[in-house]
Amino acid sequence: MGSLRAFAVSLCGDKERADDLVQETLFKAWNHLDSFKEGTNLKAWLFTILRNTYFSERRKRWREVEDADGIYAARLASQPAQHGHMDMQDFRAALIRIPDDQREALILVGAAGFSYEEAAEICGCAVGTIKSRVNRARNRLAGMLGLEQIENDLGSAGFSKTA
Amino acid sequence: MDRDANKKGRQRKMPGASKKMGQAVENGAAGTSVETQGARPDNGLSPTLQAHIGRQVRAVFDEVAREPIPEHLLRLLKDLERSGEK
Repeated sequence: MGSLRAFAVSLCGDKERADDLVQETLFKAWNHLDSFKEGTNLKAWLFTILRNTYFSERRKRWREVEDADGIYAARLASQPAQHGHMDMQDFRAALIRIPDDQREALILVGAAGFSYEEAAEICGCAVGTIKSRVNRARNRLAGMLGLEQIENDLGSAGFSKTA
Repeated sequence: MDRDANKKGRQRKMPGASKKMGQAVENGAAGTSVETQGARPDNGLSPTLQAHIGRQVRAVFDEVAREPIPEHLLRLLKDLERSGEK
């Protein structure tokens, strides 16, 4: 449930709206339990419902979403450095500035614990699409945060690319 | 975890709602994946950098994920479970 909530926050940027979204998702899931197949991935199913709910609401209320992005950005800017690490706050700020589909793919695969295949199913796209979105997200984040520069300066340990 | 055939239908069998799926999560370096369906996973970034980004993404995500669930949501969950038991 915690990760469902965190995913909701990453989508709508606002905790109250995220909680509403989770609530609606739980209701929908409950009412459509018959369409959930035993032995399949409950977590992925819930994430899919949540995502679909978010996007269908968004189609109806696109104007509101634009405001939500602004609210999210404002909150991020005013949030105190949680763990005393400025870089985490910078990272959060950078994360919301990358394209939605890239951020979503990165979060599903890199944080919410899904495989590429599961993420592809949740997002309704091909596995290759998820992979390239994740790549692009990482590259963009690295660029925005100047991480490549830092690594060059420090001298990376010369890892060759793994297969 | 098993690499199932990539059917996009919902009939895939997954080993339950386990949390830690592909090793992409463990070390943040999706470049260790063997399958290359189109895009190459480690496209230009070193494993170190990928791992760093992975850690940061997880940290940001976990910060929300680890918060106590709001009371009204917990209650909803309990009510749903209870009504299912009837």
